[in-house]
Amino acid sequence: MTPQNQILLIPKIERGFVIDHIVAGLGIPVMALIGRRPELGDAVVTLGLNYKSTRMGRKDMIKLQADALPERLLQMLALVSPGVTIKRIANFEVVEKVVIQVPELFDNLARCINPNCITNAEPHVATRFKRLESGSKHFKCVHCERVCTLDELADHLKA
Amino acid sequence: MKKDLISIDDLALEQILDYLDLATQVEAMPEAEKAALLPGKILATLFFEPSTRTRLSFESAMCRLGGRVIGFSEAANSSTAKGESFSDTIRTVEQYADVIAVRHPKEGTARLASEIAGVPILNAGDGANQHPTQTLLDLYTLRKFFGKVDGLKIALVGDLKYSRTIHSLCRALLMFDGVAMTLVSPESLRLPGYLTKAAAGTTATFRESDDLPGAIRGCDVVYMTRIQKERFPDVVDYEKVKDCYRLDAQMLAAASPHLKVLHPLPRVNEISPDVDATPHAGYFEQARNGVIMRQALILDLLGVRPQ
Repeated sequence: MTPQNQILLIPKIERGFVIDHIVAGLGIPVMALIGRRPELGDAVVTLGLNYKSTRMGRKDMIKLQADALPERLLQMLALVSPGVTIKRIANFEVVEKVVIQVPELFDNLARCINPNCITNAEPHVATRFKRLESGSKHFKCVHCERVCTLDELADHLKA
Repeated sequence: MKKDLISIDDLALEQILDYLDLATQVEAMPEAEKAALLPGKILATLFFEPSTRTRLSFESAMCRLGGRVIGFSEAANSSTAKGESFSDTIRTVEQYADVIAVRHPKEGTARLASEIAGVPILNAGDGANQHPTQTLLDLYTLRKFFGKVDGLKIALVGDLKYSRTIHSLCRALLMFDGVAMTLVSPESLRLPGYLTKAAAGTTATFRESDDLPGAIRGCDVVYMTRIQKERFPDVVDYEKVKDCYRLDAQMLAAASPHLKVLHPLPRVNEISPDVDATPHAGYFEQARNGVIMRQALILDLLGVRPQ
């Protein structure tokens, strides 16, 4: 069976978004992110796991019937599953396609991994993590200066 | 835009050299002139954990500039004991002072204070993270003793794993030209790998050793540190290494005549008192330099430059 045939196993949507090229195994964590967004409470969501992909070997995919994707969800996707493709669908056609890249800054998306960081003692304080250098997967807490990986930050997501 | 001093990593070499030059200028001024620089200005020293030396050094610096000092010396004496957040303490104290020096057991507090306060913040130590005024006074001391920092041969001795003083000093020394560092520590207290790796692409070098007498030969500076009991999760591990490096006058007999011994203080057993009387002892002058460097920093952050 070709990948195209497999994708068709998830019904096409008339309007909404496809989150494609999710690394296989990350589909459920991405679903969890969607579940935490009250703005998407009425959206119909379809999850597909472990599809064959010529580019990735295996991949997960999610389709959402919603008018818009919350900005915070997109930011969290960049943390949890960078590299995913967001396709906007109208009249069953892809009208826009964006690849989510790892940004240089994460603002108030995650808690610091350092338990002795002041941002963990005073949770109302907005956290900020800066990428060490372009292309790096290492980020530095601007407060306590602890360096951590993207995966560690993804394990410390805020609400 | 207001200035703060939070992390040595925020400073370029030019800024560090500017601070060293300003400290030199301040030191050369007559005391009476210095005392006329900051009349009516108030420094708040907010010490959420005790550090007598650093606090008194800041307070002496401000008093000798003609300013005044308010503050507290431990969290038990502040509203923190009543449950006030750090953020609220800063928001309140900035109404009372022109500049704030803050020391706190949690990392990141000085940066947070700088984000909140409209007045300049000086980091007087945030947990295990940064202590930039110590680094700057160390650099000032090196330049005073040797006329330069470039090319010095420096043995760093003791707790190289946990000492934030050593970590910050290493990062600063990497900015200078051709500094050769010999790292003398027990196996369990080696300098973290990310710091030795940071030498790549610089003209600095690191060499590890566990032989203190050997490291002293050919060195310009021996920088001793205290092995900090409070950093060890298991006191048995501390007992194993606590007295592993003890410098005494006899050990220095074969040293270069110009060698200086530095220490951020307080010392416990790592420098024998008989070193104090030798020309190698530089640590009390280093403490004096702390006042001068902090004067320079307070002046700079308040936008006051001596004529």
